[in-house]
Amino acid sequence: MDSGAWPTLRVALHVAFFLCAFFILRQVFALVRDGDGAKGQKARRRGLPPLPSLPVIGLALLFAAVLGYQASWQLAGVFRPEFVAFMQSHDRREFNPAHLIQRGRILDRTGEVLAYSQEHQGQVFRLYPYGPAFAHAVGYTDPRFGVTGAEAAANTRLNGGAPDNLAAWSGLGLHLLAKDKRLRGQDLVLNLDARLQLTALQGLGSRRGAVVVLRPRDGAILALASAPSFDPNRIGPELFQGANASTPLLNRATQGFYPPGSTFKVVVAAMAIEGGFTGTLNCPADGYTTSRRYPKIRDHEFYTGRGWRGHGDLDLPTAFSESSNVFFAQLGVRLGHDALAAAAERFGFDRQVRLYPGADRAGTMSTGRIPRLAKSDLYGLAQASIGQGRVLATPAHMALIAAAVANGGLAMRPRLLADEPPAPLAGYMAPATSTRLTRMMRKVVSSGTGKGIEVPELAIAGKTGTAENPRGPAHSWFIGFAPAQDPDLAVAVLVEHGGYGSATAAPIARDLLVQARELGIIP
Amino acid sequence: MTAATVPQDLGRVWALRRSERSLLAWCLLCMTLGFTLVLGSVHSGGRVIGIADLLPLFTYALCLICLHLVLVAIRFRGDPILVAAGAFLAGFGLLAQYRLGAFDGPDAQALYLFPAGVLIMVAVVAAFMGGRYRVLAAGPWVWGGLSLAMVAVLLITGQRFRGGVYALGFTTPTEVLKLSVVVFIAGFVGRHAQTLAQWDRRLHLPLPPWRPLWPLAAFWAALAGLLMAQRDLGMIVILSVALLAMLVAGTRRPGYLVFGLLAAGGLGYLMTAVFEHGRRRIEAWQDPFADPTGDGWQILQGLSGMYSGGLWGEGFGQGSPGYTPIARSDFVYSVVGEEVGFVGGVLVVLFFLIVFSRGMRIARRSHDQIGMLLATGLTAVLATQTFLNVGGVTKFVPLTGITLPFISHGGASLLTAFATLGLLLAISDTGTGSPRKASRPARSPRAGVRGQAKAPNKTPAETQTKPTPRRKRASKRAPGSGDDGAAG
Repeated sequence: MDSGAWPTLRVALHVAFFLCAFFILRQVFALVRDGDGAKGQKARRRGLPPLPSLPVIGLALLFAAVLGYQASWQLAGVFRPEFVAFMQSHDRREFNPAHLIQRGRILDRTGEVLAYSQEHQGQVFRLYPYGPAFAHAVGYTDPRFGVTGAEAAANTRLNGGAPDNLAAWSGLGLHLLAKDKRLRGQDLVLNLDARLQLTALQGLGSRRGAVVVLRPRDGAILALASAPSFDPNRIGPELFQGANASTPLLNRATQGFYPPGSTFKVVVAAMAIEGGFTGTLNCPADGYTTSRRYPKIRDHEFYTGRGWRGHGDLDLPTAFSESSNVFFAQLGVRLGHDALAAAAERFGFDRQVRLYPGADRAGTMSTGRIPRLAKSDLYGLAQASIGQGRVLATPAHMALIAAAVANGGLAMRPRLLADEPPAPLAGYMAPATSTRLTRMMRKVVSSGTGKGIEVPELAIAGKTGTAENPRGPAHSWFIGFAPAQDPDLAVAVLVEHGGYGSATAAPIARDLLVQARELGIIP
Repeated sequence: MTAATVPQDLGRVWALRRSERSLLAWCLLCMTLGFTLVLGSVHSGGRVIGIADLLPLFTYALCLICLHLVLVAIRFRGDPILVAAGAFLAGFGLLAQYRLGAFDGPDAQALYLFPAGVLIMVAVVAAFMGGRYRVLAAGPWVWGGLSLAMVAVLLITGQRFRGGVYALGFTTPTEVLKLSVVVFIAGFVGRHAQTLAQWDRRLHLPLPPWRPLWPLAAFWAALAGLLMAQRDLGMIVILSVALLAMLVAGTRRPGYLVFGLLAAGGLGYLMTAVFEHGRRRIEAWQDPFADPTGDGWQILQGLSGMYSGGLWGEGFGQGSPGYTPIARSDFVYSVVGEEVGFVGGVLVVLFFLIVFSRGMRIARRSHDQIGMLLATGLTAVLATQTFLNVGGVTKFVPLTGITLPFISHGGASLLTAFATLGLLLAISDTGTGSPRKASRPARSPRAGVRGQAKAPNKTPAETQTKPTPRRKRASKRAPGSGDDGAAG
């Protein structure tokens, strides 16, 4: 037998083996039909085989169920993402088709490749050309450590298990029936923009922090950066072990809880506008407190006692643009506990929002936390009103709040996948309120605390934040959008222990918006 | 039977077993194709094929021929289809084992297991055919006592390995329980069928009679306790299903099934709560991906192999079953799935279903209570074992670590499967082989049609014998109900 003819002969023998076995089955059934006694003979006259007894039917059904379940692994295993991932790294059978599935690429909105698969010596490796830059948003796929992020969200599609056209269907059919090796998964396009994401990470530099860029109109996420990060090309157990202070696995953008500081004044201002607040509040230089037992909340610790007379009587827009803590602490107490609770409800605090369909923990963003304060806790209320104390927020939620202001009060569901249709998430405020807030936020950048980042042709509207925290220097915040009149992008920047919001976070946001304009994202 | 009738009788049996002959020939052809496939891939892999490589196929052919000739010689008139289905499965197993290298080098003597199994099967058929299996029911407690003693001795002297207890040389003598316990229950239930069937209403519930049941319950508690100490959960399940099937078949009280299932549910819950070993298996079954390189490894490797096989497989000899854990025994079904694909798995399951349906038919048509109970129990044992193995490998049920009858390589398991098949065949022969023993009343319309057709010279006087308990019960019921539903 020469080796040239063997492959053909092998298939012939294989087929003959099956045919022979099925012929035996046929013979057996013929014998059962013909020879099963009087009942059988009677039935044969009617051309029917004798009915099997009840226990036989039961057993046959039981084993049919087992075979059906077996088929769900053996034939349709491609629909089980974890199974495919397991086989890709732990199955040493070279002919296992899972090794040769061309998993689809993950692309950004401009077609830049963020993840792709490459075959090397019979094994397929998943490569991430940008390394840590997209680790949190794109995720990783690793047989030992699972699949996360967008890789997990669209796993079946990436593995070719969700065909959407005839060619893809026939490819899948060939794969299922004949274990055709050329199964190619579909590419996945994200809303992310690689250039903005890299700019954001560059802005953060070696500092810890997060940047979120959203399109207010439709919720598209253009940047979702968290630093420090990890390299999805090299996932190892050490990443998941031990108490690493920098916690690279934590997606600070979606899961990092920080006191929002003055950026929270956007929420309080919206509350005040909707509550019909007009007029002024007196803001003395030595500050405001609800009880003598607590330290006073002040605007400028530095100036106190050096002849600064304080802001005096302030109205809401001026207090907002000057970010007066004394004003907002008083305003919050005046509005009361119920208003804060109502705002927590309205702005969707204490929720989980998914960033793509069927998202796992890695694919959801947490919104901020506003705990229910005791009725007697007025000082806690005053602190909460300036974004300190027990109020916490995630950068993604703050970006969502900025985007809602930019979009007439309506927050759109944040979307990472390009083909997911836009959908409203919640109305954070009335359109009229958003118009007034937009004007106030524009004033922050044109003449208030954020005037250092003013770029006239961009007309950035925003709010700075400097959030004190017990672990070190204040966190630096900036949330905003541009252009103020017809916003195309909303942004939230957080730099851990970055100091003044106007000094650290705001320039990063400005650089992003300027680059977006250069890229044509903002026309 | 006079000496003059012998040649004629032989000729008639020869003619009667024509279908068996043709089926066995096809089985042989099928396995020859399979062996050629393996040998071809070995050859194309660069190895020279020697005469030793052909030995398993020759053994198989010789065994089939001898089996058939002996069955004719002893004038066996039992089920030919069961013989053929068993021969196919055993051949398939031999092929799979050969392909897995079970007969290479130092393991070559393992090949003797196959003819030994066939020999045991033929011996059992010859010993118990023609109604002689009824002697097994003579002293049920002998079998019960022997079973308990054997498990106890094994527990004391055996060695522990991979969570189980094994006797010297890693044999598993507990496999014999599948026969001895079934024989015990058949004898016991056969003897007390009438009292066991008398349920009465207590506490507003129909409850089984405690007085005849308690020795059985005590035996079961002891047996299950001993087996649990060996962590042989699979065996407990197999024997319990057989017990329930035989109780229901013997008493026609489906209530036993209800109570049995309740007890099984409670016990199962208790065991997973108490035994870490069992709980880990349940967890690995529910979510193998929680620990894919640890507890989930076996099942996932098996499934990976099957996924590699796909619908048709690459053919015998083409896969890499070396990567499947415990491929020769517990996971042999996964190797079948890898090499001959899903279709191969369906084939194996279909042949098993033929064996079970023939077993139930034998139980239904048996001429006496003992035969019916034995056939029911033996079929239940085979079916449960097959279900637990195939279901375990395909992740349908948790892994119980038991073998696939006829196909797995476990020595004792293979021999027991052959002996079980032999006993089933022996029961199927009742009533026609030896007229003296035939006990079915001739007026029953379904009493061995083949017997009436093939042996018209029998007179009603010849077929009249001592009434058996089953016949007594059957005569109470309406005629025609005697055949149905006996197999529980």
